[in-house]
Parts: sequence; structure tokens; C-alpha cells
Amino acid sequence: MNKQSIQKSAASGLVFGIIVIFFALIGFTVVFSGLIQKALGQSLGVGQIPSISSFLIFLGLLGIWNGWRASRQDKHETLSVKKVLGRSAIAGLVAGVLVMVYALIVGALNNSGINLRTYLSQLSSESVRFFLFNQTIVVGGLIHVFYSTLMAVIGGFLAVASERSRERVKSTRESIQKWSQDRWLGKLQGNPYVSYVLMGVVLLLLVLLPRTWGAYWNYVMGTVGIYVLLGLGLNIIVGLSGQLVLGYVAFFAIGAYTFALTTSPEPHNLVWNFWIALGVAVLAAALSGILIGLPIMRLRGDYLAIVTLGFGEIIRILLRSDILKDFTMGPRGVRNIAGPTLFGRSFTTDVDFMYLIILAVLLSIFLARRWQESSIGRAWLAISQDETVAQATGVDTQKYKLLALSLGAAFAGLGGALFASRNQFTGPEDHALMVSINVLVLVIVGGMGSIPGVVLGAFALKGLPEILRELESYRLLVFGALLVVMMIIRPEGLWPARRPKLEVPVEQDHEPVPLPATAGGEK
Amino acid sequence: MMLEVENLNVHYGAIHALKGISFHLEEGEIVALIGANGAGKSTTLNTISRLNKPTTGDIRYKGESIVETPPQDIVTRGIVQVPEGRRIFPKMSVVENLEMGAYIYSDRQRIEADIEMVFGKFPRLQERRKQLGGTLSGGEQQMLAIARGLMARPQLLLLDEPSMGLAPIIVEQIFDIIREINQQGTSILLVEQNAQMALSIADRGYVFETGKIVLEGDAGDLLEDPMVKEAYLGGG
Repeated sequence: MNKQSIQKSAASGLVFGIIVIFFALIGFTVVFSGLIQKALGQSLGVGQIPSISSFLIFLGLLGIWNGWRASRQDKHETLSVKKVLGRSAIAGLVAGVLVMVYALIVGALNNSGINLRTYLSQLSSESVRFFLFNQTIVVGGLIHVFYSTLMAVIGGFLAVASERSRERVKSTRESIQKWSQDRWLGKLQGNPYVSYVLMGVVLLLLVLLPRTWGAYWNYVMGTVGIYVLLGLGLNIIVGLSGQLVLGYVAFFAIGAYTFALTTSPEPHNLVWNFWIALGVAVLAAALSGILIGLPIMRLRGDYLAIVTLGFGEIIRILLRSDILKDFTMGPRGVRNIAGPTLFGRSFTTDVDFMYLIILAVLLSIFLARRWQESSIGRAWLAISQDETVAQATGVDTQKYKLLALSLGAAFAGLGGALFASRNQFTGPEDHALMVSINVLVLVIVGGMGSIPGVVLGAFALKGLPEILRELESYRLLVFGALLVVMMIIRPEGLWPARRPKLEVPVEQDHEPVPLPATAGGEK
Repeated sequence: MMLEVENLNVHYGAIHALKGISFHLEEGEIVALIGANGAGKSTTLNTISRLNKPTTGDIRYKGESIVETPPQDIVTRGIVQVPEGRRIFPKMSVVENLEMGAYIYSDRQRIEADIEMVFGKFPRLQERRKQLGGTLSGGEQQMLAIARGLMARPQLLLLDEPSMGLAPIIVEQIFDIIREINQQGTSILLVEQNAQMALSIADRGYVFETGKIVLEGDAGDLLEDPMVKEAYLGGG
């Protein structure tokens, strides 16, 4: 083993040791072990410390990963057992010793009767003992060292095994793929009925699910649906026409307040029909898109982002200001907003509302797709890639940029109206900057310019935090980490917009085709 | 007269970029505008295609003033600019770039015939028809930019520095094609720093210096002119 290889292994071990200590400090070790215990089908009461075996599984997984990573230092070398043994043992030992030092310190402090919770709320006496496997300090520390080394070595062997078997796995996978392609996938792909059946299944789910999964999930999924609407709108503005608008929440607010003020008994005593108010709200938002768009048409990039950011804040501040208090009720917000009615019958249960939102989402997806695939979509695409050249090819850039703004705003208006109607209340704080940021993030996470991406992004951004409720106070930590991981694994978004694939020319005597990276950003 | 520019003044804020220039272009001609960086050549092209607005002065195309015409209508009337710096749509394929060039037309059959026509001129592009614009080499991108310009069926083609940053052998290919396009009936206004190359294919030329035209004449005469030789052709 050379010096460089030893250094790399030690560095890997150091990182993993720090990760384990960090997890212990924030109490994540206890929570995650608890999750493992539950996943294995054993019950665990609230506030109860999980079993040592689940903790060992948790530590073991981290240790194996450590050994795996330390072993594979260079993609191009073939691994030998000797090399791997040295590397993973060093990595495991370094991590283990680091953790032992931590365990000794914390254990000693705990034993001397100092209440560590004064400094770190998660370091209760039980959790420290748990971290020492309920042994004495020295024994617990030594277990950490041995266990970490053992698991890292196992990880190293797994790395070797996986590399040795890779060829075989690859050929097996290929033959399975070929078989399924020949037998049924190929036939299915050519068959037009398959997509109808798939669509039917989705529709059936959309009809059945709201009835079965209860009010809580209807509320959560309703929020996801409203964010799909917002995402579709912002996707038109940012993803398709390429204008970075950061004050998108303004259109959401205009939609919500227009709907609120025309259907609530207070402050204007206008009680319009639900559907008329909905239409007016959408129109008002679209109109505001044009009005805001006109003065800022000449701005591009960062400047546009800053100006629209300010605009979003202005709307929110105006709504809560005293100047408009008689008109918009100021910071109190508007109450008693009407729910939907149909043929004189009101349908305001959670199930009815879920259906309404699903309907709105389906309609919006349909419209957005039509626009995207028409010549309007082509003009937007051209503008987003090079506005000057788009103009030089005869695209009326001003018209199409305004169109994108107003159509995007209309979706936000629809989302805002439904949001206000469902909550029967809307106030200035519903329309904070965070909404704009959330929508922008969901568009980026999903994949700019891609409609399925928007839907996935909305689930990831608004649905995932609900699914992660199990993790209690670590919810946002894990959520943030997942977002980062998503962007690392799929930098172009979960479901990137489909663009033409590279076709390598048939002739061999050309210079090599440059990498698509020169195109910059998403393809 | 195809194009007449009369006493054109353009300001960028406080900067007086064009100081009353006048020139003309007859139908079927190649006219070269040469001069150093910042002399106002590109500004002139951008003003003709209305990406810029002139402060004063007049531009007449086939006898009609076009200073108030919006840029998209300029294209419809047959003036097409190929902007400086091989600007293509990087995330569209070669074919999509060409289709974008024909944006103002909707006659599907003729557009497809046009695509075949430009592929005839640029066989290299046909080989790469499905490749993304951003992945082409520099020379190929310049070819694509010109080809996209042709898709708009120009009567007057405005070419901005087609030789910029390209290898001499590619520059020669591109200039051959420019001459060919001209022979098939398109008038060409060519902006170039490579004065030698530009004057070798042009009928006439104008020499720009700090926003003014300081010299004009037949391309052959300009090539022999001592001042031009001194300043732009690397000495006598």
C-alpha cells in the first residue's frame, strides 16, 4: 500500500467518524434506530429508547458504506483482496477510534453526573448509554472500534464482490431486457391501447383515492394539487420562456384576494357565484401579468429577478397595510370565503374539493401541453435560448414574453382562488416570499420546462415533508438532504424535458463530437 | 436601389456610436463594411434590422423607410440578419434551428424543400442534423447560423463577422458559400474585420472609423488603397 492510498482511506474514515458523532449529537442515532426497529416489525413506544440490535444495524450500514467507499478509490483499477483489506481496515479503524474518543468523553461526562442536556437537548443520560451499547465506557468504546473495523472490512469485500460480479450482472440484465423486449414490452410499446389502459388506471385512482384515504391526505394532496397549478404556471414563465420571475406569489395573491373579495360577506358584501368569481380571479391575475409585464419587458436575467422579487413583496405589504384596510381587511385577512356550488347545491367536503382540484389540475395540464407543443411553445423556446436571435428570426419577442407572463399568472390566479376557497380564509401571510421560492424550487427539482417534472416536483416538495412526518423534528433536515441528493443524482430534474438526443454521425473520419456540456445547463 | 442609409445617428446612452453615416447597396451586390473593433459596423447592422433604434436619420429598403418597422416585420420584408458570434439556439437540434429560421412561414412543403436546399449548401449540417446546436464545432455553428438565416428566404442578408474565431480553411469555405448565395440572387451586406477576405468577394466597400465612414469605393480599389493596406491589411 502506498502512502496516498493510506491517506485516502484515513480521510474516508475520518468523514464517517464525524458523521456518526454528528448523528449522535443531534440524536439522529436514536431516531433512525427506532425507524429500523419499526421497519423490522417491532413496536416502539413514543419516547422509548430502541433496542441495541437496531442500533447495531444502523451503525453496521454506515460502516459497510465507509469500507465500500474507502476501497473504491480509483474507478479504473481492478481491486485485489489485499488492497481492499488494508484500505477498509484503515478507514474502519480511523472512524472507530474517532467515535470511541467521542464515546469516552461523553460517557465520562455523563457518568460524573453532568446533565449534558443543558448543552445539547438530545444528549440525555439514556441516549448516551444507548450509544455505549449499555456497557461501561471502555467496553462500549472498544465495541465501537471493533465493530466499525469489522463492518468496513465487510464493506470492502462487498466492493470486490460487486466488481467481480459486475460483468455477469450486466450480461444477465441485458438478456432479461432483451427477453422482456421481445416477449411483451416491445408489443406493449407499439400498442395504442396500452396508453388508454394506463390513463384509465390513473383516472380510476384519481376518482377512488380521494374517497378512501381520508380528510388528512385530501388536505395534503389538495395542497400538492394547488402547487402543481402554480408550478405549471411558473414553468411557462421560467422553464419555457426563460424569464426568471421571483415574485410569482403576487399573481397567487391577486387570484386569492380577487376571489375572496368577491365571495365573502365582509368587507364588500359581494357574494358572487363561485364559478363567476373563479373566472374573474383568473382573469384578474392574467391581466396583472400583462400590466406588470409591460414596464419590465426590457429587463433580462438578474434584473428581472430582482424587480419581480420586489413586486411580490409590494403586493404582500400593500395587502397588510393600513392604506387598503377598508378594502382588503389589512393584516386580519378575509374570512368566510365561499366554497364551490353546483346547481344550487354546495359541495364543500374534503372529497368534493379534492375532485375540484384534480379537475383543475387535469385541465391545466391539458392546456399547458397544448401551448408547449404549438408554435407558441417554439417561440418561447427560442426566446429562452437566445432572445436576440429569436428576434432576428422574426419572433415578436415582446408579445410572446407578455403572453407567457399572463398565462403563467392565470394559473397562479386559479391556484390562489382555489386555495382561498378551500381554506375559506386568506390573509397577507399566505402570500409570503416562501411561496415563490417553493414554486421555483419545485420547477427546478422536477426539471425545467417539463410538465411531468412539475407534477413530480410538487409531490417531492409538498408531499414528501408529510410522508417524512415519522421523522418528527428531523423532518426538515432529512427533507433538505433529500433535495440536495436529488439535485446531485438528477441535476437536470426528476423528469427532465425531453430534447432531441445526440446522434453520433455514422462516418468515422470526423473529429470527435464535443461533449454536450458545452451547451450548458439542461439539454 | 435595395438599401439606402442616410445620415444615420445612433446613441448608446451618452456614447455617440454612429455619427451620421450614409451608404447604399444595389440589388445583387455584396457590400463590405470594414474597420476596427468598435468602429460602428455591427451597430449599423443592428440598426438596419431594428435591434437598435436610430436617434436620427433614415433607412430605406426598396424605396420605403423602415426606421419605424418592428424587428419581426423587417424579417418578413426580406431583410435577415445573421448575428455576430455564431449565435444559434444551443439546445435545439440542427433541424430545429433551421425550422426556427423559417418561423415566419407556415408552408410546410416549401420549408422542407428549403431545408434540403441548405443541406445541399452545407452537407456537414446534414450529417449532424439531429445533433444539438451547442455541440457543434465553431465552424459548423457559423454554417448553421448562416443556414438558419437562409431559411427566412432573405432578399438582403446581413452577415456580422462570419469569419470571427474560425480557422482560415473554414473561413474560406464560408466565404465561398457566401459568394454562391449572392450569385443565386441574394444581396449581401457583410461586416468584417478580416478586410482582405471581405474585399476579395465584395463588389464595393466602406471603411468605418470611430462611427464614421472615412473611405468608400470599389472593392478592388480599396484593396490597393495605401491607407487601407496600412491599417487593415497588415502594412504594404
